[in-house]
Amino acid sequence: MSTHPENQTARALELLDNLKADMSPLKEYKHIGVKGPRRIDGLAKASGQADYTMDVQVPGMLYMRFLMSPYPHAKILKMDTGKAARLAGVRNVLRFDDPEVGKEEIIGKVAGFFGSDRPLSGVAHMEGELVGAAVTADSEAIAEEALALIEIDWEERPFMLDPVAASDPAAPLTFPERYIDGNHWNRGAYDELAHGDVKKGFAAADKVIEFKFSRTANTWVGPERPCGVWKWNGDCPEIWLKHQRVHLPKSRISQWFGGIPMNKIQIHSLYQGASFGGWCQVDWNLGPLWCAALVSKRTGRPVKYIFNRREDFFGGSMDEGVYFVKVGFNKDGSITAVEATLYQVNAIWPVFNPVLHLHDNTTIPHLKGQCKSIWVNKGHTVPTRCEMLPPVLTQTMIFDRVAAELGMDPIELALKNDGAMGHDMAWVNEEKKQRGFQVRDSLKECVEKGKAEFKWDESWHKPGARKLPNGRLHGVGFTWAHEWDDSCGSGEFAIRIERTDGTASLLATGADNGVDAENTYCQIAADEIGLRLEDVHYNPQQYVGFYRMTPDSSTNMSVNGWAVRHAARILKEKILESATGPTALTQRGGYQPAFPDTSPQDLDIQDSHIFLKSDPERRMSLADFVRMAGESGCFSTDEFLGVRTAWSEPLFASSYHVQYGAYNPVNPRPRFCRQAHFMEVEVDTETGEIFVTRIVNVNDVGKAINRMSCEGQQYGGSIMGVSRAKFEEVVHDPVTGVMLNGNLIDYKIATMQDLGPVSTILVETGMGYGPYGLIGVGEDIGTVVPGLMAPAVFNAIGVRIDDFPITPDKILKALGKI
Amino acid sequence: MKEFKHFNAYSIEEAVSLLGRYGERACIIAGGTDLLGKMKDAILPAYPEALVNIKTIPGLSYIKEDGGMLKIGALTVLSEIAHSEVVRSHWPALAQAACRTASPHIRDMGTIAGNLCQDIRCWYYRNQNNRFSCLRKKGGRCYAIKGDNRYHSIFGGSVSGGCLAVHPSDTAPALIALDAKIKTSGRTLDARDFFEVKPVKTTVLKADEIVTEIQVPEPAAGTTSAFLKFALRKSIDFPIVNCAAMITLKGDRVAAARICLNAVSVVPYRAAAAEQVVMGKSLDEAVAEEAGKAAVSEAKPLEHNKYMVAIARTLVKRSILACVGR
Repeated sequence: MSTHPENQTARALELLDNLKADMSPLKEYKHIGVKGPRRIDGLAKASGQADYTMDVQVPGMLYMRFLMSPYPHAKILKMDTGKAARLAGVRNVLRFDDPEVGKEEIIGKVAGFFGSDRPLSGVAHMEGELVGAAVTADSEAIAEEALALIEIDWEERPFMLDPVAASDPAAPLTFPERYIDGNHWNRGAYDELAHGDVKKGFAAADKVIEFKFSRTANTWVGPERPCGVWKWNGDCPEIWLKHQRVHLPKSRISQWFGGIPMNKIQIHSLYQGASFGGWCQVDWNLGPLWCAALVSKRTGRPVKYIFNRREDFFGGSMDEGVYFVKVGFNKDGSITAVEATLYQVNAIWPVFNPVLHLHDNTTIPHLKGQCKSIWVNKGHTVPTRCEMLPPVLTQTMIFDRVAAELGMDPIELALKNDGAMGHDMAWVNEEKKQRGFQVRDSLKECVEKGKAEFKWDESWHKPGARKLPNGRLHGVGFTWAHEWDDSCGSGEFAIRIERTDGTASLLATGADNGVDAENTYCQIAADEIGLRLEDVHYNPQQYVGFYRMTPDSSTNMSVNGWAVRHAARILKEKILESATGPTALTQRGGYQPAFPDTSPQDLDIQDSHIFLKSDPERRMSLADFVRMAGESGCFSTDEFLGVRTAWSEPLFASSYHVQYGAYNPVNPRPRFCRQAHFMEVEVDTETGEIFVTRIVNVNDVGKAINRMSCEGQQYGGSIMGVSRAKFEEVVHDPVTGVMLNGNLIDYKIATMQDLGPVSTILVETGMGYGPYGLIGVGEDIGTVVPGLMAPAVFNAIGVRIDDFPITPDKILKALGKI
Repeated sequence: MKEFKHFNAYSIEEAVSLLGRYGERACIIAGGTDLLGKMKDAILPAYPEALVNIKTIPGLSYIKEDGGMLKIGALTVLSEIAHSEVVRSHWPALAQAACRTASPHIRDMGTIAGNLCQDIRCWYYRNQNNRFSCLRKKGGRCYAIKGDNRYHSIFGGSVSGGCLAVHPSDTAPALIALDAKIKTSGRTLDARDFFEVKPVKTTVLKADEIVTEIQVPEPAAGTTSAFLKFALRKSIDFPIVNCAAMITLKGDRVAAARICLNAVSVVPYRAAAAEQVVMGKSLDEAVAEEAGKAAVSEAKPLEHNKYMVAIARTLVKRSILACVGR
């Protein structure tokens, strides 16, 4: 099948150009931007029919459980697994010192369950680490019982929990197998970020302030526990895996057992019981899968590994740590310099520098940020919720401090410093023009809408100045940031027109994460091809290859949206070419085209019908068009009987999109879309309780494709934000290093009763780099809103609380009540 | 979970007999909302060999007024108590306590007797796989004393003065404030005498003894009651502090007062000092404030739970005022 050369060229350029506005959006939208398509996964999930990896049952399947370290830092000196192996129902005991367990290279660079040096380690670097042995048995309960029979002589080692204390050169080593010169992991690129000269900036400032704030760990725990199933079909593995990026494990698995061809690996990614970017994000998820693969080989039976609830608590988000900040600013509100250092806990991903957002969306001319990734004896921190948490939190804390110091409305301060990469809005607007965007002031539009909805001018007051009739102190907070969804990633999509009825199936393998991305892709495909929305379907659980980017905000629509659009446009060309040209030649001769004597340019598709543009009455449904070739399947009765109708080739197209986005240090893209958030609280000064009475979210999403999905993120992100600000923290016993609240009662996640009404406002400036000018919204609210509670509480009580979560004891202490 | 025997008891006698046979190796199961979590997490050194299911005993779920008192069957679920018009109108503290317990789903499963008999809340005691062999497990020490004790007793401990784990029941303080009695398979006890601190034990119940009924006396004329709870979350949460108060007024003076805090001590804490403060007085903000202070005058907070003292003081004050509609 050939396509027109000029179209190929246009497509190729569009595929490669990530640096400017969408040059060929649709002229009108029928399904894009409409509110209300029913979720594709809604009925299955709401009815309980949806299948998750935890539900997978394979005939003959065994269950694998892992030994958990009772100590935060300890080495196995001697381990006797004899009693466990002899327990009835136990089929195998895999030991850390079994030769085939292997080293970290087997499962990837970031190996081991929690960064150990082996997939199944003999040394634990955190309490609860899965070490030593894996027991496989006829049931989960038997495996559990057998674990208790394993006898171990441990060498307990000193441990550290506090990152600042652990950074002391004299501190005991927390991970001597990996970090032999201290507990600081120097990772390079993301450690340092700077522009300008902060010394100059501080010297030029009217005032310089310094402060510190901290955030304890909050984790990813999801309803579905981590799990996976390994089954050998001969020498071909079939795998079910709870995982957010299933293409990564497949790639790793292809290197196992001396190499397994990719086309022999079948990997299923069913519905996901939530991971929030945590456990199933990265390679270290593969340790248990590797163990399951080994034991499946040993026993000849499928093996399912399962973690218990507590084992899903180990690890947290990347903003855990202690932040030291110095800010210089002038009386007019212009911030001249910021220097920030983050002592960040156990980052195994590149940490996003605390000043990154200030670089991305402010005029601040002098910036210096440093991340010190300190290893302590706790779990990893990964991009749980979002990797933007440290810079967003830093931005909120800085802007609110400076506004308070100046007695300035924080919105005015935000507008004063809005920019990009140290440049002012004049520079930013020129960039918009150069890149083909219309020039709009996103932050101004966001704050104006937000102020009106929130009634900001009547609500904002001096800190600690408003007592309500119910005796509580009233406070409001504001913060802002840029929108993101343009980091890096790649996505592939294919679309196939089904025979018989002409419906379209989107084909791509990817993880579900609940944001209704499925409908969003369908909306694009429907509008681009000219189909009714009900004629487009996407089943992401179907294993078809074509790996798409996870639908998280880091990169979903700005990658996957493009990939769907490219595929849809190619497919539309293909349909129209097929409709205008003979496409098959048999012994009886060639078939007449469905639209003889026309060319593809003469035709269009609307409402799943092909029609002649000059004579719309000449039309044929896509179903009729493909039915002639499809009703009999591969056996054509029509051809057999000599009935000359029409024929179409298989209507299928695929495409992809790749981007490096704003993280590209060589050719970064300025961020143009902004978000603004407003929170109102009441503080009970006798109990320290915070009541979140209102939240207003304004997000410039560029272009809303699936409006309900966008608003869903604004609601969900608000609850998540309040939850992290008020409640969520993983608590470790300071004496033993043992995690104390690894369950869903003691680790508190907010419910809908824990916050008041949430307003959702979408602004659409079209200044995103995604198709139609979109930019993401998914992670943004849940990332920005947690920090917003600090300004709101400060406005209420007039005292700073710089330690998250903001709990009643901290409020009462700040008020001098205890 | 490990395997265990499961017996459906069809009479109290049968349940008592089964419990007598297994002794401490058996547990009673009704709603199961506390027990199953404990078993899944294997928090205790020993795993129950048998569960005796008493949900199969007929006639233990009821709310009725009889002989000048409210009678509630042991198997009555919390949601029924929370929604009962009789309870809400005459014993509001109990209805409010039942309403604030746990979550709607758990209130539909959890029974009133189970809420009284539930195990202590302590994140050392309840840590998975019996990680901390503490005093309540016949172990060597209380790990909360030097550890993170933000949710522990502000009124000292027991079991040789060591254990600081709190009793978390929401309905217990309400029943104590309402001067309720607890009828078991063998006796009838004042609610205030029901709780006891011993290893792997929170009540005075013998191994083969079952709660069968809760009896709450008819309030005297001029009596009102109220229950308040402070928890981090608005739903699905145990109390940091809760408080129930019953006040009887003659004219504008307090003729009788019963105030009980919970989640602040190893057993429900009767705030006798606060009761003394309000007796004979006309209730206003100042008196209630004074009562709140008196209630926590004996508090001995730990390193991390001083805030609980402030909250307890406030809840005593507010529950008193709530009784008089303020």
